[in-house]
Parts: sequence; structure tokens; C-alpha cells
Amino acid sequence: MKPGKVVASFDSATGMLRALSRFLHGRDVPLIGQGPAWAEPWASAVLGLANRLPRPLQEKAYAASGWAEAVPPNRVGDIRSDDLARWVTGHYPRRRGQVAFVGSSNGALVHLAAAVAAPWLPQTLLIPVRRRGVHPDEPRRDLLATQEAGNALTSANPDLVLHQMHDANQDRLMIAGMTYFRVKWRRLPEAYRRFLEASLEPGATLVVVECGLRRPVTRVGPRHVFQHGALGGATPREYEEGGPRVADYLRRYGSPHRGWDYPPVDEESPEAEWGFEPSLLPDLRELAARNGWRLLRLRFTEPEELSPVVADLYRDRYRRRDLPADRLLAECFLLLEPWWTLRSGSVPYWMVFNTEPSLASLTGYLDRSDPFAEIRLLLFSHGVESVGLASIEQWRQVLARAEKVGVFTGGDPRAHPRDFAGLARAHRELSRIRTTYPIPPPLPWPDAEAFLTARLGSLQDDE
Amino acid sequence: MRVNRRDLVVDGLTVAGHRRRGPGGAVVCVHGAGVSSRELLPFVDALGERHDTWALDLPGFGASTKPSRPLTLPTLADVVAAWVTETGLERPCLLGGSFGCQVVVDIAVRHPELVSALVLAGPTVDPHSRSPVRLAGQWLRNSVREDPRMVPLNVADYRDAGLRRVLGTFGESIRDRIEDKLPLVTVPTLVVRGEYDRLVPQPWAEEATRLLPRGRLVIMEGLPHMTPYRDPRGLARIVTDFLAEVRT
Repeated sequence: MKPGKVVASFDSATGMLRALSRFLHGRDVPLIGQGPAWAEPWASAVLGLANRLPRPLQEKAYAASGWAEAVPPNRVGDIRSDDLARWVTGHYPRRRGQVAFVGSSNGALVHLAAAVAAPWLPQTLLIPVRRRGVHPDEPRRDLLATQEAGNALTSANPDLVLHQMHDANQDRLMIAGMTYFRVKWRRLPEAYRRFLEASLEPGATLVVVECGLRRPVTRVGPRHVFQHGALGGATPREYEEGGPRVADYLRRYGSPHRGWDYPPVDEESPEAEWGFEPSLLPDLRELAARNGWRLLRLRFTEPEELSPVVADLYRDRYRRRDLPADRLLAECFLLLEPWWTLRSGSVPYWMVFNTEPSLASLTGYLDRSDPFAEIRLLLFSHGVESVGLASIEQWRQVLARAEKVGVFTGGDPRAHPRDFAGLARAHRELSRIRTTYPIPPPLPWPDAEAFLTARLGSLQDDE
Repeated sequence: MRVNRRDLVVDGLTVAGHRRRGPGGAVVCVHGAGVSSRELLPFVDALGERHDTWALDLPGFGASTKPSRPLTLPTLADVVAAWVTETGLERPCLLGGSFGCQVVVDIAVRHPELVSALVLAGPTVDPHSRSPVRLAGQWLRNSVREDPRMVPLNVADYRDAGLRRVLGTFGESIRDRIEDKLPLVTVPTLVVRGEYDRLVPQPWAEEATRLLPRGRLVIMEGLPHMTPYRDPRGLARIVTDFLAEVRT
């Protein structure tokens, strides 16, 4: 199977890979990197019509779009991790530099990598696998129905760990017809090794991006775990034990259940989407030692911990260039625009998702920062009024904190969280900002490192 | 409607004023190109509950004197400034609709002592659209979302003003470079844009606000260019909140 067809295009890791690799090619990200800029008006019109469909049809269309790109279960055994790794490295331009990143997916990291013009190789990818006849609120049946496909994948790929993920809260529409196989490399794939050797000069720095987020899982096999829920609006406890918010949510969606019956928790494991699996470290150590590179570990406990640091790095840098540094671009999930961030002189603040915890992280950053004249919000719509979804009114209050302009960029607040046109309109509206600035040359890595070290005690040389 | 008319002779020209006298500070509204206060009367009525609200017919339009030649933008601005002085209003807030924004910005730049704040409802002209053909296209695209009940009012306004004056004011509006003046406006200024306003694209509304040293942008969802006519109460609420903030 073609790797591009295996990996979900509508996912954090691939979205970030596209955004960063396009930036390194000197390009922006129209249609979340899925199509040319000239198709934007058409996509925007078509998706705008989708925004007006009756809700049941919208939900079916959304689910169908996900299902269409999922892998049939009988083809899972044909997937080869080496092909996936080659596909990843194939995104990047060939050039040599002083730094490269490998590890956890993170939107703030994409901006850090863009600032220093360095590539990032994801440890995790999402492989959606088709599955029929399982109600989204029945995680045990999801596991039963897909165990065979899981076995096929892990047997064919000894270098992968399978983190199967079941989130009936935020992925409700998507998991109606498929399951989420998130795979993490526990050994460094050959294509990554060759790419890093071709990209890094002697004496360069290889930064391991290690998000320490962990989640309760059920162990299915030596390299297969089943994760209960995901990072977002609901707490780990709510996934396990339910609660009034969960019961209310399930009632609203007409579910026969009032909680989720996950299989028993065996242990905690690196979080499927964002967490770093440390068994990759020995291979990275060996590679760095052999090539005379410094191995630096960028460790943080949860994904948004990097966001204020990278935002401040950008702000500091604009101020040094005597630019206003008064524009904030709040990005959400895979709605990332590194090229327009720099072009518009915006300070990027990345949020994991559109939930109350992410809103609180953004609000906390605004509380601690000098005021912004402009705040633009790229709000991701995932189709579900899920537990912990931040309301439009709450987002409006954040935008009202801008001194001059606080706007939803590309988003239609009335359609959220079923604003599918936002995917096409986010870049389009961002690219129409009038006041722009020259894109600066790459920030020298030592400058970026000094800034990060001062802010993050956990950025350290590997010992 | 509780709006009364009061005329005043300024610089030898009779200026028709439409007023609803509310308890709060004065707000003086200036209409767009070719039209008159007719379209602003529902808004004057709504805002007049809280503020001493006026809408003026610029010379040549509505019920005001018709000079033999169309007046230039600076002259129109001077007449409004003289009107403010003459009436003894103490530093009112000036609210412009469309071309009226260009008039009130000109006043705020050249007579800053007369003004306490500005509201720019649909500020024309977007510098990227400074051509008659483009503006006509935008005007047509915008008109499909305007309230059809406004058409007879527009027709009456155009009839009052005459073709030559209507075209002359559009010419003035295209020639005036509001973007050069916005950075010189020192008073707090609220920019209001209807979400579907085709004459004032979102990037221009944002840029105009950015150019204003003390600007703030408010988007009125679901509305076209003529926000005062389409949602007089909504706009009155926004203006009232803004003025309350400015005065504290």
C-alpha cells in the first residue's frame, strides 16, 4: 500500500509534517496542505454548503470523509514501517544544517523548527483502520473487532508499538466506522537514520522531543496497548468512571449508554498521540555518538507546555527586529501556518484542541503577557459537541482581550463545532492580512537554545 | 419615532439636523455618499434613548441647502465642524456611516479639539478598491444583502441630491485617502463592520483599525454594509458600551 494512503492525512502528526516541510520549501499551507491555493475558493464554497446541511447529514459526511481514507482491515498486514519512514523524510528538502528534531508531535515545536529552519521527524503516525458494526460508545467491542488487524500490524513491523486509541468523546463521528491505530517507532527506522546523516553537519545537535504525557491503557500484547480516551475536554477519570458531563453528552447523542465500559486498566503508557516512547532513545544515542552530534533532550510534561515558550521566543525575536510584536495567532490542533505566522509578524500560540483546558492555557498566557493589539484565532472543528468543548462565547471573551482586533480567522462561529469550511478558509483569510513583514533568515540554533534553556529547565544534554 | 428636526444655518448654508435627545453625551451621525439622514433615523431613535443623538444632512443632501456645485470633502467636514461649534455641543462623538466615516475622520484630524471619540460604521474606501468599476461591483454584491425597504429611501435621497451631486460625492470618496489620515486620529475610535459588507472587506477593516492609534474593531454578524439601518438597536448597544468605556 502507498504510505500516503495508509497514514491519516487529517491528523496532528501529518498536519504538522506538511506545515513544517512546506515552510522549509518556502511555501505556505493552503487547504491544510492538502491542495493548491487556487482550489481554495472552490473548496471553501463546497465546504460552505456542507456547513448548511442538516446536522445528521453533516455528521454522516464528516464520518464518511474519515472512513474513505481508512485502511481496510485485510490490508493492514501489508503496511511496512520502512515505507512510512521514507514517506515522512520525502517531505523535506535536502540540505544540511546545525539542528534537527525527532520525537513527539507538537504544534509549538513546528514553530520552533520553522524559526531555526530545521526538520522534525515524528515518532508517531496515525493509521485509521476500517471497522464495522461497533457502536462508538462500546470500546471493548472495538478492541475485539480489531485485534486481528492489530496482530497483523505488529507482527509485520517489529519496530513499531501500536497504541490503539478509542475516544468516544471527541472522535465520536470518526470512530463510527473505523478505529485509530497510532504507531510509534521504538527503533530508529533506516530512512530516518539516512535522512539525519544527510541533513546534519558534524558537531550538529539532534534534539529529542519528549512529551511525558501518559494515559491509562489495557495491555493487548507485548507491542500493543489500548488507550482509554484521549487528551482533550474530558478527564482520564471521566473516561473510566463516567460522570454527569459524560452522561449528559451520551444522552444528547442518543446513546443507549451513560458511561464507557473500557476494559480494565493494566498500566500507564506514553499517550498515543502526543507522548514520547523512550525505547527509541538508545538508537538515537548510538547514531549521535557515531556521527559526533550532540544529543539534546527537550522534555516537557504535556503538549501545551511548549506553547508559551515558543510564543515568547517569537515575540522576543520580533522586538529585536523592531517589529510591533503585538499580533497573536492562536492556532488549534492541525490548523498551523508557520509561513504566514512569520510573514504577518504574528506570535504563535498553539493549542492542542478546541477544549476548555486549551482555552485556559491560552487565557493563562494572555494573563502573563503584555497585551496584544490583535488576536486571531484559528479554531478547529471536529464535528462533535463533546465533553469539555469550549463555547464560542468563551472564545469571544478571549478575542475581546485584543486591544484593537480580535477575530475568528476563517471560522464561522455559528457553525462551530461543525464548521467544515474553516479548514479551507483559515489560510485564505490569514493570507489576506495587509500589514506584512519580510520573513527573517533562520534563527541560529545557539540563540534559540539559549532562550529555551532559560525558560525550560528540562532542556538538557543527554547523559 | 421620537426624532425631531432642527435646522441651523452654518456658513450661510442651512443644515438639517434630526435629533432624539437622550440623557447621555452627544453623538452626531454623518451619512454616506449620495444619501441622507433618512437611513439613519431608526438608529438615531434607538441611540437617542441613551444619548443626545443627532443625524445631519450634509449640504446638498436630504433637507439641507443645495449649493450650486457639489462640495468637496474638506468643505463638508468644515461645515460639520462649524455646526458642532455653533450648536455648542461639548466634544461630541462623531459617527460616520460609509462615506460619512471619511468626513468624520477629516474632522478629527483637522479639528481634534471638537471631538471626543469616533465611530466608523463601514469605513470607505478600501485602498485596494479605489476604482469606480471595482466599487460598483462591490456595491452590487453588497446590495443583495441589504434590507429591500431601504431602496425607496435611497431613491428619494438620490432624487433630492441629483445625479451630478451623487456622482460628485462618489468621486470625492474615491479621491480621499482615509488610510493616510487614520494614523493621525488621536481620539478613541470604534470601527464597525457588517460581516457580509462587500464594500469594506475584512482585511481592510482590520488594517484601518490597526492604523488608528486608539482603534478597536467590532464585527456585526450576519449584516451587510448599512449596519445602522439593518440593526439600529444592535449598533446602538455597541456604541453605548463603547462610549461608556471611553468615558471611564
